[in-house]
Amino acid sequence: MTSPASKRLFKEYRGLSSDPPEGITAGPVTEDNMFLWEALIQGPEGTPFEGGVFPAKLEFPKDYPLAPPTMQFLCEMWHPNVYPNGTVCISILHPPGDDPHHYEQASERWSPIQSVEKILISVMSMLAEPNDESPANVDAARMWREKRGEYEDRVRENVRKGLGL
Amino acid sequence: MASFDLPDSTDWLDTSLSSFEPLEAALRCQVCKEFYDTPMITLCSHTFCSLCIRRCITTDGKCPTCKKEGQTDKLMPNWVVGEIVERFVKARPAALELARRDKEEKKGTSGRKRKLDDTDLEDDEISVRSTRSRKTRTAAPAGGADMSDPIAVVNSEEEGDYVPEGMVKCPICQKAMKEEQVYMHLDSCPGQKGPGGRNTRSRTNNAFSNTFQHQSTKLSPSPTPTRLPQLNYSLLKDNALRQKLHSLGIPTWGPKQLLIRRHTEWLNLWNSNCDATHPKTKGQLLKELDVWERTQGGHAGFTEAKVMKKDFDGNKWATNNKDHFDELIANARKKRTAPTEGEEKSEEKKEGVKDAPKVIPVQYSREQPANPPTETLLIPHTERAQEPQTDTKPSVDVARPYEGNNEALAIIRKKVDEANNNSNSSSSAGPQLEGEAPSLRPSEGISNPFSSPSRKVPMFQVPEDPVIEVETKSR
Repeated sequence: MTSPASKRLFKEYRGLSSDPPEGITAGPVTEDNMFLWEALIQGPEGTPFEGGVFPAKLEFPKDYPLAPPTMQFLCEMWHPNVYPNGTVCISILHPPGDDPHHYEQASERWSPIQSVEKILISVMSMLAEPNDESPANVDAARMWREKRGEYEDRVRENVRKGLGL
Repeated sequence: MASFDLPDSTDWLDTSLSSFEPLEAALRCQVCKEFYDTPMITLCSHTFCSLCIRRCITTDGKCPTCKKEGQTDKLMPNWVVGEIVERFVKARPAALELARRDKEEKKGTSGRKRKLDDTDLEDDEISVRSTRSRKTRTAAPAGGADMSDPIAVVNSEEEGDYVPEGMVKCPICQKAMKEEQVYMHLDSCPGQKGPGGRNTRSRTNNAFSNTFQHQSTKLSPSPTPTRLPQLNYSLLKDNALRQKLHSLGIPTWGPKQLLIRRHTEWLNLWNSNCDATHPKTKGQLLKELDVWERTQGGHAGFTEAKVMKKDFDGNKWATNNKDHFDELIANARKKRTAPTEGEEKSEEKKEGVKDAPKVIPVQYSREQPANPPTETLLIPHTERAQEPQTDTKPSVDVARPYEGNNEALAIIRKKVDEANNNSNSSSSAGPQLEGEAPSLRPSEGISNPFSSPSRKVPMFQVPEDPVIEVETKSR
């Protein structure tokens, strides 16, 4: 029995493995369950995240792609748009109807035509350019705004830790 | 996972026709990533499968591409796209095979001669075998138009063996078709797999290639069904809705929320089937609804209902989640105690007398931090903003904020005892800080707009998962 969701996820998986975007690897943890994925994202060049590889998990709802997945980093992330527990907070992961802050344009939010690939690319660019309008981690946002040097040092430290150095 | 071996536009990337990748991608629905199935165009001129766009619109009422408002009854069929897709799908296997082989030949420079010979041989072989199939197909598929004869032959041969995605072969005439269509087709299958049978069939197939023109004359076991109207669910009582579902012949069990979702899905399945060139039977649609039921509906453990069950056991909930409550209480308290000690005390005395079910509104405050609208009802904004300043690791040691502060602990214990004596709550509240949970509610001290003595349980159930996840992760 294959639901439209798992079929589409499998398609996305195929697409991602035969034509992966640079710096991104993603796929289901096991092929028995298409609704839980693991992804690896490389830190974008020219940012303090450069050189790092950041693991994350993606959980998909049963009615995907009508509703967006959730994404959570499995490593320590010091970033204005990542909650201390690793959950990523960016507009593309927010369902269209739900915008308590009214910070986001409807067009930026989740729609069934988005995809895992687009999410991961957005997250990559989020690493390079944090959005401090609606920070998930207020401390990190403040540090990013006011003490950029300290912020970058902390990020680099995390990168080194993540690589086991 | 053989059933998942699906063709994809990226198949073209490794061939000499890599520019076909975007072409094929353009022929696929953006929602399901399959080739368009019964493409429909919206008022904003975007095209999707009939079922996909119906599902999207019934979910959030908008076009997935441009987010403009859309209505399912304003959808129009996009015949041209439908035909292009149909032609492309037929031409695809041969073209892909050819492009792959071409790439391989270009790769291997040393064994090139031999390879070419092989190919020739193969072609000869095939052309002998497939004269017949060429006869039966009066027109070569679109993709074969610019190909030389032997290639066109390979084309039709390939088609015989290759079964495109989601398709199966008719056991009698070997024609590839959608799985769901087989049963319907069998009723009208024109004949055995012999040249005769194939001939007749292919003539009907190809005489006028536009299958859409045959919609009225096609062999169909049932007359074209009529579209079902949408219902205004809010005006329907449970029983009336159940009655409706019953008259439609679909399952009627489950709470109203599930009935609504089931009816919506049935409407989507049914109405998109009305758009289709080859409508399925009701039995097939019911099977699809059953798949939905098991993957997303009532059999999927998919709790979407936001309204709390009537038999919700508030006390049990409070006991089971005591840790979380305690943590939140401690958290809120920590920020409150200093300025409002006296006031809090009197309020809490009052609260202590009240009954246990009143504790439940606190669940609102247990939503994850990402969800301020409910939380702000209970905890003033300023406090939330301050939290990160005062504490670099906010979630670390909040469970025992009074550790070491004996004076405060003493006060609290006294209050807890007091409350325990007064309240008939069955909670296991002891004299320790952790035991204070259900009887002492800081959130009651802060004005709680939802609390009213007459209502024992809140209207809405807080989703369970996010709460637990956030809490446990932050430890």
